[in-house]
Amino acid sequence: MRPSVIKQVAVTSLREYLRTPEAIFWTYGFPLVMAVVLGIAFSSSEPGAVRVVIPETSQAAFADLLEKDNGRVEIEVRPADAAERALSMGEFDLLLQGSREDPSLRIDPRRPGSELARFHLERLLAGESETAGPRIEAVTEPGARYIDFLIPGLVGLNLLGAGMFGVGGNLVQMRTRHLLRRLTVTPMRRSEFLLGFVSSRVLLSLPAPFVIILFGWLAFDVPLRGSILTVFLLTLLGALSFSGLGLLVASRVRTVEGLSGVANMVMMPMWLLGGSFFSNERFPEVLQPLVQAMPLTHLNDAYRDVMLGGESLGSALLPMLILVVIGLISFVVALRIFRWK
Amino acid sequence: MSDAAAGSAIELRQLTKVYKAKEGDVRAIDALDLQVERGEIFGLLGPNGAGKTSTVEICEGLEEPTSGEVRILGRSWGEDSQGIRERIGVSLQETKFFEKLTVLELLELFASFYAKPMPLPELLALVGLEEKATQRYQNLSGGQCQRLAVACALIGYPDLLFLDEPTTGLDPQSRMRLWEVISSFREGGGTLLLTTHYMEEAATLCDRLMIIDHGRCIALGSPKQLIAELGAGHVVSLEAPGIGERLQAAELSSLASVRESTSLGDELNLTVEEPHVALPAILSLLREKNIELAGLSTRHVSLDDVFVHHTGRHLRDEEPRK
Ligand SMILES: Nc1ncnc2c1ncn2[C@@H]1O[C@H](COP(=O)(O)OP(=O)(O)O)[C@@H](O)[C@H]1O
Ligand SMILES: [Mg+2]
Repeated sequence: MRPSVIKQVAVTSLREYLRTPEAIFWTYGFPLVMAVVLGIAFSSSEPGAVRVVIPETSQAAFADLLEKDNGRVEIEVRPADAAERALSMGEFDLLLQGSREDPSLRIDPRRPGSELARFHLERLLAGESETAGPRIEAVTEPGARYIDFLIPGLVGLNLLGAGMFGVGGNLVQMRTRHLLRRLTVTPMRRSEFLLGFVSSRVLLSLPAPFVIILFGWLAFDVPLRGSILTVFLLTLLGALSFSGLGLLVASRVRTVEGLSGVANMVMMPMWLLGGSFFSNERFPEVLQPLVQAMPLTHLNDAYRDVMLGGESLGSALLPMLILVVIGLISFVVALRIFRWK
Repeated sequence: MSDAAAGSAIELRQLTKVYKAKEGDVRAIDALDLQVERGEIFGLLGPNGAGKTSTVEICEGLEEPTSGEVRILGRSWGEDSQGIRERIGVSLQETKFFEKLTVLELLELFASFYAKPMPLPELLALVGLEEKATQRYQNLSGGQCQRLAVACALIGYPDLLFLDEPTTGLDPQSRMRLWEVISSFREGGGTLLLTTHYMEEAATLCDRLMIIDHGRCIALGSPKQLIAELGAGHVVSLEAPGIGERLQAAELSSLASVRESTSLGDELNLTVEEPHVALPAILSLLREKNIELAGLSTRHVSLDDVFVHHTGRHLRDEEPRK
């Protein structure tokens, strides 16, 4: 292997990336927009009012509730069939009907807000004051809020995307453009190309995690309690591991559409189960093996331990090892089955 | 590299390529024999789907032959693929390079692959892209892209150059510029395997050529030889509805100076030695048969007529219009 060739391939790939503004947006703009939107959506300290609908036919029965200003509970009256429809469309959390003495509540128990709506409405129907009962404090200190949970998860997702599209997407594009096969009829060795290309993509995926972490700190006070060096090591291993996965995903497909298919098959489960947006520890027992097999799960956990828990390198060793193993297996398999044509 | 000069540039023996496909297998190359000597400009001429690209890509080591033997510069791909790659230059039928790189940057990339690449200013001058050196690939015209592809093929001073339809779809001026590049490569003593479906291109550039159709060789020789083999210097082309069925081949070839007739439905081509002798005889036969002509033309025999002679089809029938 000749370092000069590896370097030239890497420089080529860096140039191509730095001259593609869309690619830069997807690496930096997208996670930041996501952080802002989700950060704001979940940061209001007061939970919003629950929404209740009463069909016109029962309007008279609950006149007393409608007259009062109910704070936590917003009540609207709709024609009977419209009320039913609005409930099923999710416009309301709860439908109240029947008589004042014998009220009946319709809820969809699978919807997150419905139990809360039931709780508030039952208290209202019983005539209890809203301020009665134990005092409730919102969690607001840095390190324990949803945004603190979210930022490390977005970092993990960002590295996943960089591997899938930065490595995988670009390779498939080169394949469909016949560029890969053109390169293989030169004295360039295939290992030189892959090494140069993958190292440039790994290099390119390193800054974004720090930009996201910095942004989280500036905009939301998300802490970085552990060492930045540990974060760097995690980022490097995460980038390498997901590059291997990207290489594997791209190793056979012949079209860009084919790649989106395969990449989505890998990414969708990780988006859902990888613990970026919500904790995957409480997922059903049957899903746990799948959850634990995902490199994203371990990367996210390690970022949270280091950033929020202030853990040192030692506690991140196991997830790092898992990342290295998954990355290595992907690389080896990908190189064996890689299609240059 | 003691044997660097040993052996022909290209030797193909009984080369066969079968593509497996759901609708049935495609025999793209059928027991083809081919020998290209060093220093030759050799052309593969044939319509679309004739098997030109398949043949070239097997020579380049990109495709595996189904059966048959391949030797490139005296070596086989199995023995010394790296050695062959260092000595050949390739331009594929279609390659799109990195969109955002400039001409110079792309050449730098390819130059890094070779031990002794051609100095880039010299290469840029050779293909006439000096003024485009700092332009991005995505802003080049079709002809400039092709010249860049040829430059990438020439960068390592190859002994053997493969150009697969380098001028297809180009305007006449761009085509002429590429022809000049090829001529200067010939002067340097290099060997070239060129594919084309333009007969003028084959006739102008090639020392020898093989006309192929359906993966088989139908004629082989220098352009002059191939034309001389038809035995007559001119073609008289007659057009009338159904003329092919209304005239017997025997009556035609017995006419003075007429060598042969080929029917193409509403068109009838006669190869003739001397048009001024043949034409009166042809016209009087037509009068006898009461055949009213829609058109008549005479021309010198071309490679297309060689193709028509062997296949009963025009080469250009399948040429895509740009
Ligand atoms: N990868 C392939 N799979 C199936 N059929 C193919 C493939 N490549 C070429 N062919 C078929 O082989 C024949 C020869 O093709 P090709 O060598 O590209 O011809 P040419 O270059 O002369 O136009 C055509 O019928 C083509 O459809
Ligand atoms: Mg072709």
